[in-house]
Amino acid sequence: MRIILLLFIYTLSSYAGQFSKVKITPEISYIYVYHKGKAVKVHRIQDTSNKLTGEYAMTYRPHRDIQPIKVTKDVKTIGEVELLHFMKNKVNKKQGVLVDLRTKNEYKDESIPSAVNIPFEVMSNKVKVEKILKVLGAKRLADGSLDTSKVLDVTFYCSGLWCKKSSMFIKSFLELGYPADKILYYRGGFQMWKILGFTTVTN
Amino acid sequence: MRTRFIIFLLISTFIHANKVEIVKGLPFVTVEVEGKIFKIERNQVKDSYLTNTFALTSRPSPPFFIEPFSVSEGIETYGELEVLDFISKKKGLFIDARLSNWYKRSAIPSSLNISFKHFLDESDEQTKVFKRLGGVLNESQDKWDFKHAKTLLLYCNGAWCGQSPTAINALLENGYPKEKLKYYRGGMQSWQLLGLTTIVPKEKK
Repeated sequence: MRIILLLFIYTLSSYAGQFSKVKITPEISYIYVYHKGKAVKVHRIQDTSNKLTGEYAMTYRPHRDIQPIKVTKDVKTIGEVELLHFMKNKVNKKQGVLVDLRTKNEYKDESIPSAVNIPFEVMSNKVKVEKILKVLGAKRLADGSLDTSKVLDVTFYCSGLWCKKSSMFIKSFLELGYPADKILYYRGGFQMWKILGFTTVTN
Repeated sequence: MRTRFIIFLLISTFIHANKVEIVKGLPFVTVEVEGKIFKIERNQVKDSYLTNTFALTSRPSPPFFIEPFSVSEGIETYGELEVLDFISKKKGLFIDARLSNWYKRSAIPSSLNISFKHFLDESDEQTKVFKRLGGVLNESQDKWDFKHAKTLLLYCNGAWCGQSPTAINALLENGYPKEKLKYYRGGMQSWQLLGLTTIVPKEKK
């Protein structure tokens, strides 16, 4: 009897350890991403009675316009599955950057693993924007034009479906000459990430 | 006298104005529900939170998985603004593809419940549904022609719900044109997280 019980507990715990009770897709239960040099296991909360609470469960959002599904015709909007692919195939391989446009404090509290913080306000600081472009692989040529032939892929997100920071930042990036096919927009943002029970990190 | 009138106007706009607009300058949209004009707006009650079952983060898998952003190449994914435009302008049929027990509890106003099951296998029910969508059955070839069928917008519970993608895939397999199929992936969960109006549909007798 005791052996059966032990076996039962063992299977139960190993089952939970694989994060297969609440999976991401039929094929994927979790992925590893690098966050500030450390590997983080990204999965979903396995407690099926867990509910989102706190500020990201808030439905009253005055002066926060619902955002269109697309920023522009050429910039692709993605969901969580595509974001995870981006983290695995681009961010982990240093070919792409995931950018959190929320405030420094919001980012500090909690963010999507592997994301770096560029507070939206930075957009109006020309010197800082120039630095960011350089880090992303763009080259300012002698004639003042921008060589973007070797730039990294960038995915932007902010607070959620009602947050306009991403679309505004992306539009200004496009104006600066960043190629549309190098930009992705995760419209769901931190709110959808949270409501689907995905792993977050503190910074 | 005039100032008093202006003050009155200001006060009445203040009282009636929606503080939370859909987008700036658009406080609400109207749709038709059971032949009546129905208003869809966002939650105006301060400090409201999503607390019902749609606040659940972790549905067991199977059957629940996170759906890709797009069902299939060439099928547009809609957000809330695109949904509101579609239903207020009656651009086609707005289908709630969930099982009826979900729909009965709450749904997006002006949606019609056709459960994904009815799209799947050849049956009398499927024939009825396909005809309703504007399909024509070519009996000699046993094939459906949807060339002149309606444009459809399908939704279900949200990013973790496979019911509307399943229905869309079944329609594709039966030859429904891609450009006539639209997918609202956010579904009930995103809709309510934005505080948008839902409805408890009347039971059909």
